[in-house]
Amino acid sequence: MDSRRRLVRAGSILAVPILWLVASRFGILPGLPTPVEVLDAYVGELYREDFWISTIRSTIRVLSSFAIAAAVAIPLGLLIGRYTVFADLTFPALEMLRPIPPIAWIPFTILVLPAAELSIMFITFLGAFFPILLNTIQGARGVEVEYSRAAQSLGATSYQTFRHVIYPSALPAIHAGMIVGMGLAWVNLIAAEMVAGGTGLGFLTWSAYTSGSYPTIIVGIITIGLLGAASSALVRLLGDWQIDWAKEQPA
Amino acid sequence: MSKHDSPTDDPTTAGPTPDSTGKTGAIDINDLSKIYDPEGERVVAVEGMDLDVEAEEFVALLGPSGCGKSTVMECIAGYLEPTDGEVLVDGNTISEPDPKRGVVFQENRLFPWKTIKENVEFGPRMHKGVEEGRAESILDEMGLDGFEASYPSGLSGGMQQRAELARLLANDPAIMLMDEPFSALDALTKEIMQKKLLEVWERDNRTVLFITHDVEEAILLADRVVIMTARPGQVKDVIDVDIERPRDPEVVTTDRFTELRERALSVIREEAQRALEQEEGG
Repeated sequence: MDSRRRLVRAGSILAVPILWLVASRFGILPGLPTPVEVLDAYVGELYREDFWISTIRSTIRVLSSFAIAAAVAIPLGLLIGRYTVFADLTFPALEMLRPIPPIAWIPFTILVLPAAELSIMFITFLGAFFPILLNTIQGARGVEVEYSRAAQSLGATSYQTFRHVIYPSALPAIHAGMIVGMGLAWVNLIAAEMVAGGTGLGFLTWSAYTSGSYPTIIVGIITIGLLGAASSALVRLLGDWQIDWAKEQPA
Repeated sequence: MSKHDSPTDDPTTAGPTPDSTGKTGAIDINDLSKIYDPEGERVVAVEGMDLDVEAEEFVALLGPSGCGKSTVMECIAGYLEPTDGEVLVDGNTISEPDPKRGVVFQENRLFPWKTIKENVEFGPRMHKGVEEGRAESILDEMGLDGFEASYPSGLSGGMQQRAELARLLANDPAIMLMDEPFSALDALTKEIMQKKLLEVWERDNRTVLFITHDVEEAILLADRVVIMTARPGQVKDVIDVDIERPRDPEVVTTDRFTELRERALSVIREEAQRALEQEEGG
């Protein structure tokens, strides 16, 4: 990336606090804490054990739910994408469940599942699951037939063709789904934590609201934003490492 | 898996065998027809085609575009099931793709997610019917040493096609099915590839079915040039190429070559015209 683009991108990030400063300074949004107040609150939170427990809890919930979602959605998507019978058996049911908003699951899952923790994880799982599933299906269907033919003519069995041709060929689409899925996992996690309560950044932000501690609300928002960006970066990094072949161009 | 049942798949006898009794790779095409979408629009790609290719023979299949050349190849490869008739290889009906019948596609089909070395080793690793180390000597032979760790996208078109040929040879097939493999290359690279292919074939004597729409290429390479009709495809004429081997691209300047080319062209001109009229008529 050239230095000019770097500068513009840095400007994009800097614009947020500047606009915020202006908004709080001139009373455009009454009740909006100033950046200095929030910074104060942030430093205060960094010394509180509760803040760290919430942050770590939320991160573990997202990463584990996301990992389970990927582990289920990728094989399922590959099978649905390649085997019509399997697709007919499973996909209609999944398509019916997909449009249900994640929040709508919360009361039901709290009642049915033995622990609130499981309920939160299930909602988070749903956020990551569907984007990864749909992208994997699309990726598996998009594999050009000549690649599987080439593999078969070189002596590959159907399992080997799946492993060495269908899966790697679908990887770029799978990773696109994983990036979207990671974002939605955070969205769903925070919603679930706000409703189900207990611990986590969603709960921390919501209790700051109920206790009228405005700066802490923003501390929660910023922390969620930073962790969301960091986990997306992690997925991207994983993708770049796994799909390094797609980047190499003729010299 | 049924493909491991045939005796030629035994690692000790795989591929072309040097002794005259054990020649493999004969292709018999009997009354082959292929109709796409028989219930719908019904496209008759090939109709009643007969052709015998001897073991270790080099046959070029020449015809206007859309005449069903690729369909014939896909039936031999085992990708398509004939609508009627049959394709036999060494007397056995074809039911599925088999490493004995290697394929080179018109567009390069190296796996983009595997390095050149991984691509070339792919066949031997999958079915373990070929000796270890074969892939490496072939990489060297095809001038790909130094590029083993590159991905296909990092190579030029000519190199990619060489790597694809290497991948096929590493698998030691008795039959090589080549669907216009050099048609996307520039003239110079094409000539180098033709030379390389002749060299490899004259040494190993595999059966080659080489599809092309290039008359000169067909005569330069093949023992026999089979000219197909416009769709529905069948055999229109067969020209024996009695130019002695080893050949190299310079034979195109000889009188005999010119004669054969004129003969082939006069046959194919008619069919190309018909194919064109078909296309214009929808």
